[in-house]
Amino acid sequence: MGRAPGGTGPATSEHLRRKVVATIMCGMVVMGGRRTQLLRGVLDLCLLAVMGEGPAYGYEMTKRLAARGLSIVGEGSIYPLLGRLERDGLVDTYRAGSNGGPPRKYYSLSEKGKRALASGVAEWRETRDAVDTVLGLVTVEVTS
Amino acid sequence: MSRFVDACRKEWNRLGVPEPVANEMAADLAADLAEAEAEGAAPENVLGNGVFDARSFAASWATARGVVPREHRTGMQRRWRAAMAVASGAVSFVAGVVGLAILGHGQQGSMAAVAFSKPTRVPLLGPRSVPINPQLPGRLLLFHGGAVAALGVILLGVGLVGLGFTLWLWKPWTTWRRRGGFDESVGLPSYL
Repeated sequence: MGRAPGGTGPATSEHLRRKVVATIMCGMVVMGGRRTQLLRGVLDLCLLAVMGEGPAYGYEMTKRLAARGLSIVGEGSIYPLLGRLERDGLVDTYRAGSNGGPPRKYYSLSEKGKRALASGVAEWRETRDAVDTVLGLVTVEVTS
Repeated sequence: MSRFVDACRKEWNRLGVPEPVANEMAADLAADLAEAEAEGAAPENVLGNGVFDARSFAASWATARGVVPREHRTGMQRRWRAAMAVASGAVSFVAGVVGLAILGHGQQGSMAAVAFSKPTRVPLLGPRSVPINPQLPGRLLLFHGGAVAALGVILLGVGLVGLGFTLWLWKPWTTWRRRGGFDESVGLPSYL
């Protein structure tokens, strides 16, 4: 951008190449960051939702999320979030064996957790509908 | 992945997480990782991007659970607390010993003196103030009889109160994080 258009050939080419790479990387970071931010706001609700299907231990919940297309690979771990849910009294826990394996810590919804899930889902739907109203009809032509 | 679990355990130990809690977290983590490995899944499936930084992962998990003692929030706070405890302990010890010595000798009718570089008054104890040297501004406070005993009692009291303060500073169990006080300083935002 700061270079004169009539600069030397190799230098201009290198400059352009760097600019393109920087733009692509910046886009990747922004997109990845947005997904992380979006998930951060609702992952606790997703965990409460999969717990609502029945008690589960940590990895089991990850698998339930993945089965619905929500992979945490590249995102934060669910363990700190489970810790926070436990601390806030939104889940009940107990230890039990799992298919002959070592005892695992099972998480299930507490009454407080059920209420939090209900209000959180209502909030999510309201937000999603509002955002859809804004973004749902957007069509953008991108020229390279 | 046992190295990952070991690194987490080391971090929990450093943060002062109680051993039973650390053992429980380590066992859960090891079991989940073993199950993922048996199913051919990558550790990232269990840990997300936490797999790249065991220490941050361990710290954020323990912090979110509320099992990190408050004084472990930052190294600076920990060092400040330790320095305060040492200083308080030393002052308390000296005050207590001097107080005991004064009380021991005060009963035999001795006299205590405190020199000040500037003219001063200590009306509560009723000492007699005399100039150190007529040419100089300094004064000497002389404590007799009951005043000496009072001084000893005060110093002994200061020593005992200081000792209590030192124990409070040193005592880790007074600083357990309470529910609702989420500590943002240890947990890294990338781990939710």
